[in-house]
Amino acid sequence: MASAPSKLYADDVSLVVVLLDTNPFFWSSSSLSFLQFLSHVLSFLNSILTLNQLNQVVVIATGYNSCDYIFDSSLDLKRSLENGRMPVMCSSLLQKLEEFSFKDEQLSKEEPEGRIKCSLLSGSLSMALCYIQRVFRSGALHPHPRILCLQGSPDGPEQYVAIMNAIFSAQRSVVPIDSCYMGAQNSAFLQQASYITGGVHHKPQNLDGLFQYLMTIFAADLHSRSFLHLPKPVGVDFRASCFCHKNTIDMGYICSVCLSIFCKHHKKCSTCGSVFGQAQSEAASASDKKRKTPET
Amino acid sequence: MPQVKIIAKNFMDMVASLPAIKLDILYHNQFICEAILRSMPPLAKKYVLQMLYIDVPMTFKSLQEWVLADGSSKHQVAIDRLIQLRVLEVIDRKKETTYKLKPTFQTNLRKHLIYGGILSREPMPSNVVARLPTLEELDAYAHEQWECFLLQLISSGQAERSSSFSSSMMRIFQRGLLRQRDKEAPRLTESGFQFLLMDTNAQLWYIIREYISNSEEQGVDQADLIAFLLELSFHTTGEAYNLNTLADDQEAMIKDLADLGLVKLQQGRRERWFIPTKLATNLSVSLTDSSSRKQGFVVVETNFRMYAYSSSKLHCEILRLFSRVEYQLPNLIVGAITKESLYNAFENGITAEQIRLWETDLNRVEMTPAHFYDEFSSRDIFESASDFARVHGGLLWEDAKKMQMAVKAEIHMLMREHLRGNK
Repeated sequence: MASAPSKLYADDVSLVVVLLDTNPFFWSSSSLSFLQFLSHVLSFLNSILTLNQLNQVVVIATGYNSCDYIFDSSLDLKRSLENGRMPVMCSSLLQKLEEFSFKDEQLSKEEPEGRIKCSLLSGSLSMALCYIQRVFRSGALHPHPRILCLQGSPDGPEQYVAIMNAIFSAQRSVVPIDSCYMGAQNSAFLQQASYITGGVHHKPQNLDGLFQYLMTIFAADLHSRSFLHLPKPVGVDFRASCFCHKNTIDMGYICSVCLSIFCKHHKKCSTCGSVFGQAQSEAASASDKKRKTPET
Repeated sequence: MPQVKIIAKNFMDMVASLPAIKLDILYHNQFICEAILRSMPPLAKKYVLQMLYIDVPMTFKSLQEWVLADGSSKHQVAIDRLIQLRVLEVIDRKKETTYKLKPTFQTNLRKHLIYGGILSREPMPSNVVARLPTLEELDAYAHEQWECFLLQLISSGQAERSSSFSSSMMRIFQRGLLRQRDKEAPRLTESGFQFLLMDTNAQLWYIIREYISNSEEQGVDQADLIAFLLELSFHTTGEAYNLNTLADDQEAMIKDLADLGLVKLQQGRRERWFIPTKLATNLSVSLTDSSSRKQGFVVVETNFRMYAYSSSKLHCEILRLFSRVEYQLPNLIVGAITKESLYNAFENGITAEQIRLWETDLNRVEMTPAHFYDEFSSRDIFESASDFARVHGGLLWEDAKKMQMAVKAEIHMLMREHLRGNK
């Protein structure tokens, strides 16, 4: 699978959109406390703004039920961008974060048991891409945008389609998606996202040193990345998920019109409505799945 | 393109050339650390952040591992810059050299990133100051002041009002930019032309550099002035700051800065204050070399007609240097780039990539020193001589009938030897 086309960046002016995982189910069981995590992140954000006067930072909170903007350096810090930036940024961001967490919790309804406690990554990715599109259309002179996902929650299979759409959209607009995964397992979504869009994926081994990981890997601007040694993608899980059950599959059926993936034979495509013909009775492939007889 | 010496020594070079003790004092100020960080090439910035919390010295080899093969030249530039600014200290051990961030710089930058910095100077409360200019008015003021200064710089007769800079100060600024022959008006040199084409911030830094170097001769401490300027860039545009918060030499400098358009001076009933303009607060934006993000407004057609959307006298003067200005409308300057106007420019020493075509026009005739050989005694000798010349790449022209040839002066001695040998 080809990764993103590379772009020539003339300078290091950057716009970093940070997607912050605020999922309480993850943070309640994480070795790093949410408060400590925030202190690492706030210093990182300040460092980005310190590197270049024209740099911008936007923070979107990825909650359990919802997503929202909690910080935008071009709006919040209009006057005091230089003097006393850190205190202003901290108070503004933390206040909005508190309001967001409260609202997010209110939206929780009765959940069926066994649902994976994931965060709404597809929502925040889409919001980030919309914001970046607006920046692209604001004129010729704009900072070079990239997205940084700080995620700890596991992948939510029901978000597969939305996330893949967001990833391809980012690839098309040449917006790299960096990801820093802090959870226990691996995140196939984030690995794929970074690989396809030309970003960097990393799972820090020692979360106490998160700030150093952020400084060393994720603070690198797009211009310098072509000269730096950054973590390479290793063992990315490219397996697709079926659209009907969201299970990861190796082999399946594909609609030839819209390329939707199914694990079992269906009468018609649930995405585009095309009617499928009868399944082939002889299969050349080594599949020995039992085929259902087509319903008439 | 000839390398212009003007840009080579920029403001940061001046900072780097300060003695180590003075630089150490500068690095106690968090804002100066930030300004210095912003002025570095991107790779150097990255290295500083990476080494910020590393307390042990790192070897040259381990630093090199950070960078890919085709980044090695950029890597070297970055390391050199860091050493030049004394941000990176070199510790020579017996086996190999190691590097470490300068402790003062490291501590203060850490504090700045974790806690942020707050300037010691507070803006004045709004009930004390009279009506402050709006940001647009302030921008217009800064722009006007700077243009007026530049006009006075390049052609003293054109400025509408003279600045408070003494004529000796103006002469120092003009050094290298203007050339004056006897009985002639001062004309722009090639460096002067390049200066005019630089973006405002680079021009500003050039002038400030000259100003600071000159102040040293007057007995004012260079490091103090540099620190003041860098700190000024972190003030808030449009806010009023009381003049009584300034030290004496800072107050003297403020008046000169007002002439350049960096601050606006105002006074009320009892207080006097200064208001930083965008020129001041944007100072640190282009401390690096690769910075110009400006948009142009000059359109040149393929028939060499030129349209510049500007109402500035300064722009008109600049365009007059190499083009024939035809009309000046309220917001538009119409001109044409003609051969004559270009010859005029070349005489002043101005060259450019796009107009090199016409420059070669001047070089229609090429001269090569040569020797003319005549009266060969026989055809054989002529032919052997001509072959000899051709083999040595020196044959310019020959006429076989008349047995004459022209040979490059460089191989004249060889030809003589050859002909003597043949006889």
